[in-house]
Amino acid sequence: MELSIDRLTKHYGRKIAVDCVSTVMKPGVYGLLGENGAGKTTLMRMLCAILEATAGEVFLDGKEITALGADYRDLLGYLPQDFGYYPNYTAKEFLLYMAALKGIPREEAGKRADELLEVVGLTEAASKKVKTFSGGMKQRVGIAQALLNEPKILILDEPTAGLDPKERVRFRNLISDYAAGRIVILSTHIVSDIEAIADEVLLMRKGKLVSQGTVAELTKKAEGKVWELAVSPTEAKVWQEKAAVANLRHEGEQVVLRILSDDRPAEQAVPCDATLEDLYLQSFRE
Amino acid sequence: MELFKLEHKKLWRKTSTRICVLLCLLYIIGISFMVYQWMTYGSIKGNYNGHNFDGYENIKNCQTYGRKYGVLTDETLQEWVRDYQQLSALLDEERRTQGKESVETRQQYQNSGWSMVNSMLATLYPELERADMLGVTVMSGYVEAEKLTGIYERREKAVDTFLEISGQTGAERDYLLRINEKVKEPFSWVWVEGWRTLLSSQLSEFGIVLALFLAIVLSALFAGEWHDNTSPLLLTTRNGWKNLAAAKILTGIAFTLELFSMVAVGVILLQLIYLGTEGWDMPIQMMKMIAIAPMNMLQAEIYEFAFALLGALGFAGVVMLFSALCKNHVLALLLSLAVSYGPMAFHEKVPMWLEKTFDLLPLVGSGSDVFRTNTFHLFGHYIWSPYLIIWVPFAIGVLCLRPAVKGWARRMRV
Repeated sequence: MELSIDRLTKHYGRKIAVDCVSTVMKPGVYGLLGENGAGKTTLMRMLCAILEATAGEVFLDGKEITALGADYRDLLGYLPQDFGYYPNYTAKEFLLYMAALKGIPREEAGKRADELLEVVGLTEAASKKVKTFSGGMKQRVGIAQALLNEPKILILDEPTAGLDPKERVRFRNLISDYAAGRIVILSTHIVSDIEAIADEVLLMRKGKLVSQGTVAELTKKAEGKVWELAVSPTEAKVWQEKAAVANLRHEGEQVVLRILSDDRPAEQAVPCDATLEDLYLQSFRE
Repeated sequence: MELFKLEHKKLWRKTSTRICVLLCLLYIIGISFMVYQWMTYGSIKGNYNGHNFDGYENIKNCQTYGRKYGVLTDETLQEWVRDYQQLSALLDEERRTQGKESVETRQQYQNSGWSMVNSMLATLYPELERADMLGVTVMSGYVEAEKLTGIYERREKAVDTFLEISGQTGAERDYLLRINEKVKEPFSWVWVEGWRTLLSSQLSEFGIVLALFLAIVLSALFAGEWHDNTSPLLLTTRNGWKNLAAAKILTGIAFTLELFSMVAVGVILLQLIYLGTEGWDMPIQMMKMIAIAPMNMLQAEIYEFAFALLGALGFAGVVMLFSALCKNHVLALLLSLAVSYGPMAFHEKVPMWLEKTFDLLPLVGSGSDVFRTNTFHLFGHYIWSPYLIIWVPFAIGVLCLRPAVKGWARRMRV
């Protein structure tokens, strides 16, 4: 299975939301990283065929996805950024409704809904109305509905938003297990989530795809550009203004700064291992 | 089918749907009940200020009084007028001797059905109407009974005159008179007022109320998905396009049938409880002498129910089209209401041709057109309006369904 994106572009009037993005995706987990307004959601919506592209095309195994129609949607699982639900439905009823829309037979749908509610830790809340759920619980219902039809292509827009750390770990494990033989595309602001599960990371900026590669490949780009510097609290304030400080931690009387810089920022600064977050911050430094 | 069941369940689970159905039932059935039991048919209070809450007994008294005459002939009409004048004289006597009328005599007078007979006299014997008595007393009070002869000939003449005054001449007149020829004489005559309330006010207003509640519920059927922000989810599913739209259309139709049935059953039950079936075979001419339709009261009632049902289905189609084309359910609601209530509001203020066109819109016309002589002139043929105003609104609704499905599928793809 191969999902190829060919010069995909979306304009809203004069604003360019997605600018000639091209890439090829094979089974694996793809993490979309980018600041707000970078075009991640727009790109995902076009991949779901619910947003018409201004130019460019998306192909699944060589066939244009809008031409595939229902056959493509049959392979698709989608969690939108602002996940909408029917307030008066219980979690189970909502999943059964979505299952019917996905064309899953009733008997199978019941079993599948129960399984997924267990997977996302909502078995006990299955008969409670979704409107009474916390943000994290609603998000878990959203994840469950996306998985109902065991999609071959799973697109998740900010899936970990609102999840507590324990749930995030559960989600990451779930996706890692699920991704075998499937294409999973997810966007998030939580870099550590992508770092933990993404096979490949796509970095987007102002609608353009600026970098793509494995976490190791990308962090390599930041190697030699991340430094640690121990300074006094007064000096720390000065450094924060004059350099890109990725992190700051107190150690006794001193403050240890994590600085992103192409050159050694000070003689005492020591080089350290780069992370994806460093690369992310470096890419969107301005 | 599964999708339809789920969609139908979803509609009924909405609080707004339940409130609308409850209000619709309360309004139509509640008002009907109050009309029968109190506001119209309750006996007059001792101080003549309002009605008692005893409509059921009072209606039975009226029906008993009405049975006296049985068939409308010159003789029975004259008898009725004499009875009425005696009652009237008794009221005058009581006023003179006791200073006020007795409640019993007053009630008998009210139960006589004078209003209906009075309009019959004014239609059939206009030359007997006295200008000097206008505002003093009703025609039945002073007309000489023995002059009330040739009632059915008079009726034919009245129909003829009415058509002439309305400018309905030539082929149109001949067409209407051919319909009128089928009216069977003599007319049976029992208590008419109950049927008049049912046919000329309750059922004819049925559609106005249905339109409001159907618009509120169905305008959110498609457009509500934007409000709930569920459209991206629906669109990425196998059945999320046309199949879902078809399920929604079926749900809209099912809901319309359900709401209509609930209200109709309520209205019919109240009718059976209060009015019974007496007079079902009475011709509608007993309500309006110049009506040309060869129909009895039951047939007219069936027509008015059918008119409301087909109009409601047609209107549902229009509302669903707006709902599918608009992303905002409030806008869909306003457009739906405008299509129905706009023409209703301007109905009397527009040229005749436009008024007739408005009548063809769902729930804008009136089922009580069976009492009228309106026609449409199409392709060189005259068509009596009730034939058209019952089917055209329904056809409009049906025609809206396909664009609704297509519009939904297209509109959902941003």
